[in-house]
Amino acid sequence: MPLKRHSVQWPWQALLAVILLGLATGLWVATKRVNYEWRWERVPQYFAYRAEASQTAPVAGTVRGISTDGAYSRVEIVPEDGGPSVTVAVETDTLKVKAGDPVAEGDDIGAERHWKIGPLTWGLWVTIWISFVSGFIGLIIGLVTGLCRLSPNPTLRGLAVLYIELIRGTPLLVQIFIFYFFIGTVLNLDRIVAGVGALALFVGAYIAEIIRAGIQSIAKGQTEAARSLGMSTTETMIHIVLPQAFKRVLPPLAGQFISLIKDSSLVSVIAITDLTKSGREIITSSFATFEIWFTVALLYLLVTSLLSQLLFWLERRFARSD
Amino acid sequence: MIEVKNLIKVFEGRGQVVRAVDDVSTQVGKGEVVVIIGPSGSGKSTFLRCLNGLEEFDDGRVIIDGIDLTESKTNLNAVRREVGMVFQHFNLFPHKTVLENVTLAQRVVRKRKPAEANDKAMRLLTKVGISEKAGEYPSRLSGGQQQRVAIARALAMDPKVMLFDEPTSALDPEMVGEVLDVMKQLAREGMTMAVVTHEMGFAREVADRVMFMDAGRILEDAPPAEFFTAPREPRAQAFLKQVL
Ligand SMILES: Nc1ncnc2c1ncn2[C@@H]1O[C@H](COP(=O)(O)OP(=O)(O)OP(=O)(O)O)[C@@H](O)[C@H]1O
Ligand SMILES: [Mg+2]
Repeated sequence: MPLKRHSVQWPWQALLAVILLGLATGLWVATKRVNYEWRWERVPQYFAYRAEASQTAPVAGTVRGISTDGAYSRVEIVPEDGGPSVTVAVETDTLKVKAGDPVAEGDDIGAERHWKIGPLTWGLWVTIWISFVSGFIGLIIGLVTGLCRLSPNPTLRGLAVLYIELIRGTPLLVQIFIFYFFIGTVLNLDRIVAGVGALALFVGAYIAEIIRAGIQSIAKGQTEAARSLGMSTTETMIHIVLPQAFKRVLPPLAGQFISLIKDSSLVSVIAITDLTKSGREIITSSFATFEIWFTVALLYLLVTSLLSQLLFWLERRFARSD
Repeated sequence: MIEVKNLIKVFEGRGQVVRAVDDVSTQVGKGEVVVIIGPSGSGKSTFLRCLNGLEEFDDGRVIIDGIDLTESKTNLNAVRREVGMVFQHFNLFPHKTVLENVTLAQRVVRKRKPAEANDKAMRLLTKVGISEKAGEYPSRLSGGQQQRVAIARALAMDPKVMLFDEPTSALDPEMVGEVLDVMKQLAREGMTMAVVTHEMGFAREVADRVMFMDAGRILEDAPPAEFFTAPREPRAQAFLKQVL
């Protein structure tokens, strides 16, 4: 192609718009056909809601007065036995007494509301920290295994190969079950520990292969130059090979971590309440099946795209020396 | 300074056996400059790499400044820091700046303080005429500049011996001179050097001895005046005819 030509873009962009519109219409028609009633308004409460806690009279007595300040009201009660008066703060719209009312100890006066995080937020948090912890442990496992895989020692190499092949040749779901029901029972592990352990071992095997490839991609001349300056094998690894390899493995590593976040949804099978399990639980009570699954998918998408942004930024910082 | 006795290095692979260095014995005195020449594949690089233990040899001994590399109690890393090496393809550390390339091993291996290492690095970079690029990454430098940094990096360890493996072969012709000038200056200052090169002018001007290698053996070892005017070996004569 000798000359750079300015190809016309807009017909293709228009086509893209038409296709997307078509997909949206298809979705809409499909839900119409199954008579699905969308109830998006039910979703927000599963992120956070205001919990009501009823407030009762601490003593028997008479309500002397109520001072209302917007949404809050302070109820002043004079005890029967003549002690100093006590005040109870409640939400104005939940007030059940008026001035002059007699109250017995334990009578309902009203309720106080406060924000509580809902199951979706909680599940999202569990998914994030489980992924983070197992990713971190997996990174260490992967680094050690990757180095063992390249070690001149046949025992270390053999163990590394065995581990990698075992993990990569079996489904994660089966590994989680084995970890939970077998290893977990033998060592008496908590389900969370079992879940994180299974994920870390799983991702560690893949990271090991990424690290191995990264190290092998560094030219032999780099090691030779370092060794000829008198650096030991370890010093060469730390100062010369690993920093360069790390820069190279960043993109595949990013992909692996993104996969890990998605794969972590499988720990819901051993009753860890992560984002997926939360979604399933909410659906049994809310019947907003479609909305919840779409929301759950969106939340995963949000986390993974934030992560890929972060790694993209890291990658750019490392590209300084190119 | 360098003593080599009956050195043998054999490469085995794909059913064929290559005797890359075949029973070589020689010596290089302190302050001597030895140039090694010979056709491609004659074992020059392999020989040079045996001198600092970068290549594990099969038989014979290499003694650097009285230390025998083959003895099991010898710490190879300790020997290597006394032997600087410059490669055909520079092999600078791309993730480190020029200055860091020169200071890294000083800090890690020689355990020098950052200020001391920086000082030394700047002096050497000035010496090879490239101090203004100290903060750059190697990828921004020309080949000649990179090779001069590589020489400074090796010198920073205060080596007793410098090995050069075709230091100018990967350079554009106009950059060969600047690297050779640095090497000539080193030779004048009394550095012990073993240089594999195809630069016959350099050999004539600087070398105390010229060694001609072929098929893993040193066939001729003579002062340049003698070697270039009246080579004894027929293969050396043929080689010289080709390159001169
Ligand atoms: N790592 C290796 N594995 C197998 N054979 C090798 C290896 N390195 C070198 N050889 C062989 O050893 C012989 C000597 O190689 P060497 O690189 O020392 O030659 P050279 O004289 O430096 O050549 P050139 O001028 O091309 O650099 C060659 O036949 C080469 O094929
Ligand atoms: Mg060579």
